[in-house]
Amino acid sequence: MLPTRFIVELRTAVGKDGLITGESQLQTYECDGLTNFRVLPGAVVLPRTAEQVQAVVRLCARHKIPFVSRGAGTGLSGGALPAAGGIVISLARMNRILEVDIANRFVVVEPGVINAHVTQHVAPQGYFYAPDPSSQSVCTIGGNVAENSGGAHCLKYGFTVTHVLALDVVMPSGELVQFGSPTLDAPGYDLPGVFVGSEGTLGVATRITLRIVKRPEVVQTLLAAFDSVQAAGQTVSDIIAAGMLPSAMEIMDALSIQAAEAAVQAHYPVCKGLLLVELDGSYSEVEALMREVQALCSNNGAWEIRVAQSEHERALVWKGRKAAFAAVGRISPNYIVQDGVIPRTALPHLLTEIDRMASAAGLRVANVFHAGDGNLHPLVLYDAAIAGQEELALDLSYRILRLCVDNGGSITGEHGVGKEKQEMLGYMFSEPDLETMQLVRCAFDPENLANPDKVFPRPRLCAEKPGPYVPHPLETAGIAEIF
Amino acid sequence: MSPTASWMLEQGMAQLGSIVGPENTELLGETTVAAPGDTQQIAEILRFAQANRLAVTPTGGGTKLGWGNPVAPDIQLRLARLNALHEHAWQDLTCTVEAGCTWTTMRCELARHGQMVALDPLWPDRATVGGIVASNDSGALRLKFGGLRDLIIGMTIVLADGTIAKTGGKVVKNVAGYDLHKLMTGSFGTLGVITEVNFRLHPVEEHARTWTVIAHGDTRPVAASFAAPLRALMDSQITPSCVQLRTSQQECALDIRIAAVPECFDEYAVRIQNLFDEFAVTESSEAVWQARQQLFNMHDAVVLKVALLPSIICAISSELQEIAFTEGLGIAAVAQANGLMTIALNSAPDAAIVLIERLRARVAGFGGSLIVLQITDPLRGRLNVWGPDPGPVPLMCEIKRRFDPVHTLNPGRFVGNI
Repeated sequence: MLPTRFIVELRTAVGKDGLITGESQLQTYECDGLTNFRVLPGAVVLPRTAEQVQAVVRLCARHKIPFVSRGAGTGLSGGALPAAGGIVISLARMNRILEVDIANRFVVVEPGVINAHVTQHVAPQGYFYAPDPSSQSVCTIGGNVAENSGGAHCLKYGFTVTHVLALDVVMPSGELVQFGSPTLDAPGYDLPGVFVGSEGTLGVATRITLRIVKRPEVVQTLLAAFDSVQAAGQTVSDIIAAGMLPSAMEIMDALSIQAAEAAVQAHYPVCKGLLLVELDGSYSEVEALMREVQALCSNNGAWEIRVAQSEHERALVWKGRKAAFAAVGRISPNYIVQDGVIPRTALPHLLTEIDRMASAAGLRVANVFHAGDGNLHPLVLYDAAIAGQEELALDLSYRILRLCVDNGGSITGEHGVGKEKQEMLGYMFSEPDLETMQLVRCAFDPENLANPDKVFPRPRLCAEKPGPYVPHPLETAGIAEIF
Repeated sequence: MSPTASWMLEQGMAQLGSIVGPENTELLGETTVAAPGDTQQIAEILRFAQANRLAVTPTGGGTKLGWGNPVAPDIQLRLARLNALHEHAWQDLTCTVEAGCTWTTMRCELARHGQMVALDPLWPDRATVGGIVASNDSGALRLKFGGLRDLIIGMTIVLADGTIAKTGGKVVKNVAGYDLHKLMTGSFGTLGVITEVNFRLHPVEEHARTWTVIAHGDTRPVAASFAAPLRALMDSQITPSCVQLRTSQQECALDIRIAAVPECFDEYAVRIQNLFDEFAVTESSEAVWQARQQLFNMHDAVVLKVALLPSIICAISSELQEIAFTEGLGIAAVAQANGLMTIALNSAPDAAIVLIERLRARVAGFGGSLIVLQITDPLRGRLNVWGPDPGPVPLMCEIKRRFDPVHTLNPGRFVGNI
C-alpha cells in the first residue's frame, strides 16, 4: 500500500485524470509482453509534460517509492513489470512530435510517440526512421530507447542507440538533464550512449532527438527456399563473405513458416529453411547485387527464388515475418520467445544443438532469426495444461541462452534483460563486470528507485567504495550484501 | 627536485620495475614511464598508483597527448607492448585487438581478408587503437559508417582500483547490461584504461572514386555557394562514403567519395555533374582525404574541432573565409557533411581568443560545441579548451567519482576539469 499522503501529492502533480488507483484499472499495467510475470502497481500516473514527470519522480525520491516507466507495454523481457510497492509512470500521453528538421536529418519526439508514426511523419520528405522492431506499429520510442530496440533492418542501419542524438532525462532525483546534442560529439562522456538500453534503470527520457535516414531509391526483397536451415545459413555467410551488406537477412524454419502462413497467408514456399534478403540503394546498384545474391542462393541449393514484384507483395512477405511470434499461438497453446545472439559462424552448430536439446526435452522449438547479425528467436512451444511442461520449456529456453553465451554470443540481442533474464546476466558477465556496471547505476540512481530489481542478478546497494573498505550498516546487521 | 621527491621517484621506479621488469621502465623528467606487458600488470600498477595517490596517464602513440587540459602525471602507462590483434573472425565480421596496436598495423592485418574497421583516424601509422578510442577520433568515413560508438562492440578495461572488467561482447547485436564501452569511448582515459577493443568490421570499399567540385572562374570562391547543391546531394539517392568542404582564403572545394559496384560509377558521375551543374567537377585522387590531418601540420596553428548542424557548414565556412580576408588571419578549415569541422587558425593570440569566443557563441545557439585540440604556447592557460561546462557536468563528475574516487587517471584533463 502506498502512503495516502503520497497518493494525494501524486494527484496534485498530474491532476485527477492523470492518476489511476482503482484495482481493476491497475490490472492493465500489471505486466508487459512477458505475461508470466505479474505485479499489481500501487498507482499509475499518466503525465502529459516533462514537468509532471519531474514532479512525480521528485515525490518518489522524497518518499523513497520505486517507479517503473512504461510505453506501450510491448516489451518481451518484463522490463515494464511494476515494482512491488511502487508506481508506474505511463508515458502514453506524451505523444507529440515536437520538431522536424529535414535539413539536419533529425526529429524531436516525446517518449510516447509510436515508432511507426515517426516514419509516417517524415515519409513525404523522403526520409524514414530506421529501427523497426516487429511491434513498431504500437511500440513507443521511449520503450525503444529503454531497450535499445533493433529490428530486421538494424543489420545495415544500426540500433536505436545509433539513431539517438540527444535526450532530456528526468534523473531519479527528479532533476531534468540534457544528454547529447543534435550535433555530433557533445563534449563530455557519451551519456546518450549509456542511457539508451539501460532498461529504465537510469531515469525517464522525456524528449528524444532521433536521427532520420534518407529513404532508398529502391528496395527489393527476395525469398529463397532451401531444404535445410543450415543451407539458408550458409547462404547468409556467403553473402557477407562477398562483401555485401543487405538491409535485412532473415531465416524462418518449417514450424515458423507454418505458423505465419496460418496467421497471415504470406504465400511462403513450404520448405525447411526460408531465407529472406532485402537490398536497398540505387536502382543500378540493387540490380547488380540482387543478381549476385540469387547466384549465391542457387549455389547453396535454393529450389525456389522469388523477388517480390510489388510493394504489396513485399509488404506481405514482411507481414508474415513480423507476425511470426504471435502466429506461433496458432500451432501451440503456449510458447516462450527467446532472444539469443551468436557469432554467425556458430549458427549451423547451434541449430543442431537446439534440435537435439528440444528432442531430449520432448518439446518443439520454432526458429525465426535475424540471420545477418546472428540474432536468434527460438520459440519454445508447450502446453501449460500439461503438468510440468511449462517448467520444462522455461528450462530449455534458458539452456538455449547459455548455449549462446558458450558459443561467444549474448543472452539478448534486442529484447533486453528485464526481469526475465536477470540471472542469466550473471552467466554472461563476471562479478567484476557487473560491479563496474553498478558504478554507473549508482552514479545515476543511488537510491535504487528507477526500475529496481531488473537487469542485474542480485539486489545491490550503492555503497561507497573509495579508500579502505567500511562495511555498510545493513551488511554489518547481516540483512544485506554489498557488492 | 627536493631530496624527498627524488627518493619517492626512486621508490616508484623500483616498485614499477618489480611489476613490469626494470627494462620496461624509464624516467622522463619527474614522470616514471612503465610499459606493462599484460592487463594484470596494468591492474597492479593502477592499484599501486591509487594507494599512493599518484596520477597516471595512459598513452599509446602519444600523438594526441596535447589534447584536453594538461596533466603532469607521476606515471605514464605506455601500452605499446599490448599490441596484438588477438582475433579476426572474418566470417563474423568482428575482431579483437589490444589497445597498443597502431591503427595501420591493425588495418593491414584485417585487409588480408578484405575487411576494415570503417574509420579513418589521424596519424594512423603512429596512433594506437586505445588512444584513438579514448579521444573518440574520427575522419571523413564517419558520414557513412558512423563513429567509434557505432563500431565498438565490446571492450576490456582496467579501473583505477585494479578491477578488470569486460563490457559488451563479440557479437554486433547485444543489449545485455550497460554499454560501458560507450562511456569509455571519448573519455580521455579518465574512467579506466582501455586494454582491448572488440570491433565490428566492414568489407573494404574495393571500388571507390573521389570527385572534387570547385567554382568556375577567377573570383574568390565563396563556400556559401555550395550550400544548395550540397543539400541536394545529401537529399539525393547517392550515398557517398565521405563528403568534405575544404576552405581557406584562396580555395574552396567540395570532395565527394563514392564506393559502389564498378558498373555504377558512370551513372554517379553524371548525377554529381547534374547536381553541381554550375561548378567544375573533376575526378581527384584519394590524397584529398588527408586534408584534415594536414591542418595539424600548419605552422603555429591552433586547431579546433567544431560540431555544427550539417545544414550550416557552408555558411560557417563562408564566414570564416570572410573573417580571414577582412582581418588578415590565417584560417583553413575542413568540414564534413555530418557537421564536424576542423579549423586551423594562425593568428596573434588575442585575435585567436576573440575568434574562438565568437564561434562558441555562434554554435551555442543550436547545441553545437567547439573544443581546442591543438594549442600554441602563447595561448596555453588563456583558453578553456573544452568550452563552457555542459549541463550534465555534475553527473559526469559523479560517474568519475564512482569509477576513480581519488582521481588517479588523467586528473583534470577532461571536460569540467574531470
